This record gives sequence, structure tokens and C-alpha cells, in this order.
Amino acid sequence: MTAAESASSEALMREVRLHIFQQAAETARVPQPPQIAAALQRAEADVVLAVKQLAAGKVLILAPNDGNIWAANPFCAVPSGFRVEAGDKTYWGICIWDALGICAALDRDAVISAPCGDCGEAMRLEVRQGRLGHSEGIIHFAVPAHHWWDNIGYT
Amino acid sequence: MLLFRSEEHIDRWSRARDLPRGATLTPEQGWRLAHGWYKDKVKPEWRRHTLEETEELLAEVGLTGPFWNLREG
Repeated sequence: MTAAESASSEALMREVRLHIFQQAAETARVPQPPQIAAALQRAEADVVLAVKQLAAGKVLILAPNDGNIWAANPFCAVPSGFRVEAGDKTYWGICIWDALGICAALDRDAVISAPCGDCGEAMRLEVRQGRLGHSEGIIHFAVPAHHWWDNIGYT
Repeated sequence: MLLFRSEEHIDRWSRARDLPRGATLTPEQGWRLAHGWYKDKVKPEWRRHTLEETEELLAEVGLTGPFWNLREG
């Protein structure tokens, strides 16, 4: 790859990244490559490549066995048990860390509903004015930090 | 990273899966970790944290010791 091609690839990755995360924050929906390509008026193949590069850089996570985005973390593309209500929008995180991360990324008041990993009973956490207000439960990390990205889905 | 009602629920969940217990955080620690990790993710200027920055964040939240070691070995 020439220097010019490399710079062009970097520029597209940045453009795609900004679009994905800004759309996720504004609409509570994570766009997929066809929508991203249409919105940015770019070739879908180029967008797919940019998305794969972003995944390789651990900026987002692809669904197993296809090119769809599973999570532009902290924003999960599909419904999960970790639900975040902010304004009139409902967001999902892939875990409690990401549910809290959505509140941080949005920088707005939000309410998290999350199930107990053991019994499934729902718990509620609230973020108000940049602080954690009401909270319940204990967060458990099963995987040591050095191995988080060995299998991020499991982590 | 899951949320549990209590330590007993974590123990039961771990035993049922034959997994060693990992590490626990209070919701406040979880919020501080998530805030430090994700507060800039939507911003144009966002960039991945360096290893050193991540270590600093973990330490600020009180997450120290082998479980939180990000380096090889």
C-alpha cells in the first residue's frame, strides 16, 4: 500500500467510525455496512473493509461468522438483557460495563435495567448528572484483564 | 461482566459453571471504570487508550493485583 492509499484508508476508517458511533448515540441503533455505505456515499466493499479494520483494532466487535457489527461498544447492535433508557431512547449493552459505558458516552441521565447473572432478577441503576445514583448488586469479572480480548464475547 | 444480586449469587453462578471466582467491583467502581473507558468514545478525537493509560485508570478505580494485570506473564 502506498502512503497515499494508507492515508485514504485511515481517512475512511475515521469517517466510518464517526458515523457508526454518532448514529448509535443519536438513534440508539448501530448502523450496518449497507446503511453506512449509503449514508456516506461510499462503496459498500470499502466500508466492509473499514469495518473489519476497526474490528481488528478493537474499536468495535463483529458478529461471529458474518460482517455485521455486533457491538460498536459500548453500543450493542442487537437487544440484550442490559438495557439503558435515556430520554426517549432505549439502548443495549453487551454487559453491565457497557451499559454503564453507554451512560458515560451519552453524557446524559439514564436508567439501566440489568438481570442478576445467577437468578435473572432485574436490578436498576441510575446515572444522574454524571454520577451514579441509585444502584444495586455487585459486578463480577470472570476473566482476568490480560485475557479480555481472547474471546470478547465470553468476557 | 455480569451483575449479581449478592456474593452468594456469584458463588452459586461460579459453582454451577465449575469456574473459579473472578474479581468483583462495586457499582460505583464499575461506573468510574466505564466512565474513564467510554466517555470519549463518540467524540471525533477519540483514540484507544495506551496500555499505560489503561493501567492508570484501573489503579484510579482501585483495581490492582494480578487479576488486573494487562501485560504478558
